[in-house]
Amino acid sequence: MDASPDAVTRPPASRSYWLCQLGGWGLYSTLQFWAGALLMHLPWARLGIEVLVLNGIGLIFTHRLHAYIRAHNWRSFSLRSLVPRIAVASLLLALPLGLGSPFAWVSSLQSSESLIQELAPNTQLHFGPLIRVVHQWANWATLFALWQAIYFVALSIRRRRDAELRQSELTRSLQQAELRLLKAQLNPHFLFNALNTVRSLIADNPQVAQIVVTRFANTLRYALSAGQHEIVTLSKELEIVRDYLEIESLRFGDRLNVDYSVSEEAAAVGIPAMLLQTLVENAVKHGIAELPRGGRVKVGAVVRDGMLLLEVMNSRPADAVRAAEGTGLRNSAERLRLIFGPSASISLDLSQPDLAMANVRIPVGK
Amino acid sequence: MKVIIVDDEPPARREMRRLLVEIPWMEIVGEAGSAAEAEALIEDLQPELIFLDIQMPGGSGFDLLSRLEHVPQVVFTTAHDEHAVHAFEVNALDYLLKPIDPRRLASTLDRVRSAGAIRAATGGSVLEQLFVRDGSRCWFVPLREVQLLTSEGNYVRISWGKVKPLLARNLAAIEQRLDPAQFFRANRRQIINLRFIESIEAGVNGRLHAQLRDGPEVEISRRQARLFKVLTSI
Repeated sequence: MDASPDAVTRPPASRSYWLCQLGGWGLYSTLQFWAGALLMHLPWARLGIEVLVLNGIGLIFTHRLHAYIRAHNWRSFSLRSLVPRIAVASLLLALPLGLGSPFAWVSSLQSSESLIQELAPNTQLHFGPLIRVVHQWANWATLFALWQAIYFVALSIRRRRDAELRQSELTRSLQQAELRLLKAQLNPHFLFNALNTVRSLIADNPQVAQIVVTRFANTLRYALSAGQHEIVTLSKELEIVRDYLEIESLRFGDRLNVDYSVSEEAAAVGIPAMLLQTLVENAVKHGIAELPRGGRVKVGAVVRDGMLLLEVMNSRPADAVRAAEGTGLRNSAERLRLIFGPSASISLDLSQPDLAMANVRIPVGK
Repeated sequence: MKVIIVDDEPPARREMRRLLVEIPWMEIVGEAGSAAEAEALIEDLQPELIFLDIQMPGGSGFDLLSRLEHVPQVVFTTAHDEHAVHAFEVNALDYLLKPIDPRRLASTLDRVRSAGAIRAATGGSVLEQLFVRDGSRCWFVPLREVQLLTSEGNYVRISWGKVKPLLARNLAAIEQRLDPAQFFRANRRQIINLRFIESIEAGVNGRLHAQLRDGPEVEISRRQARLFKVLTSI
């Protein structure tokens, strides 16, 4: 049963458990001792020993019960199946203590016989030893039942608190994941460089600066609103890609050359939002930005045999190491598979030394 | 002050130039669009200050610095790589985030000026700092703080306080450009900073032993010991 989540995350017996156990039994013992010594005038030395021994046994029994409850996973039971178990456990545990009661004075504390005698000394009552045993048995059983009631109430309170804590942690990590995704979609490197370009253009060429600001707003709005599962037509995505690449051409000057070759049929096919944009951003980042003389980015799309074949080709430095791109590509592949099933795929072809070719296959009409 | 702007994006260079033109004591002597271009330009024009973009095609700003013979004062400019500056623990003069805030630039230029004043006071055309890249870390190492340079094959181990980075040059190449009033070739493998000598003891066969402050004892070979005595007139 160690595999239960509580057993994994918690030490075998927590501090609060021992605090309750020792505190509870300690308080009970003190009360018993106090009552015995003051109300019933029992000799305190033997009374003390009896109280300690009996309640010590009670402590050991309940601790064994605690271990049993953990081992048999009673914590996961409903109230309905729990109640009979509590009753049986209480009776079983109380049995030896009931049987032992004739040998102890303390037991008279709990017996109504002595209480009645105390309150009404003239009443003639005499319980036989059997009745006394049964009576003590019932007393201890009640005590154990009470112990379990407290135990399970405390447990459910703690569990609820843990659940709330876990929930808030989950919410937080989810928010962080969303934030990371958003950051990746916003491409901060592009963002700040574009702003710098605009600042420069305001002095050099205010008209172009105006155009760039609107293009920039378009790409930003698109990246911010694109959901993880959103499908857009290729032509819609291409608008953003064009806006983006125009801003980048201003940054890179004549280093960036762009070619589009998209068939009309292909332009109408649905693709996951930001898919092409991410590929083109990678082509710029790992290709053009790394080439002192610049290069070419080519976006091509055709429909063949019910599949959209989307291709982004870019020049790249021959000696480049492309390790960092792996995760981005893996994420895109995962997303494609989730949305379109196993026939959709994405691959990066680096077989030519100075070219990178990203190929996407998406089934048409889904 | 002679300045060179290094950035691969033409609009970014224009913007930088526009910001600097306003500063009367700045003289922009050149612009470069790549690390390779910048390397030639810097060796040729020997600027006192460069504004250097970190991410560039064909080698980053750090790559450029580690190839330079003369390392001028550097202000990094970057759109989003300030973490790179931190990650490399580069003790650059400053770094600027693009788009550059003119107020921020003003405080950078204050720093440049005070560093320039120190430079003028210590004076001179000799090598003053090295840019060292060791593993994932980079440093500008001011030579006056270097105790000892030790040859390790084609590399030189630089003893600079607690840090002992390895420089990808040979000892002879560095020696030529060191200030002879400050650095002394102790033996075949080692050059010591005279300012760090704590005590000198005579050894056997006319050799000397120099104890360096917070550093090891270095043997001065017989031939060099004669020279040392002349130089320091012991």
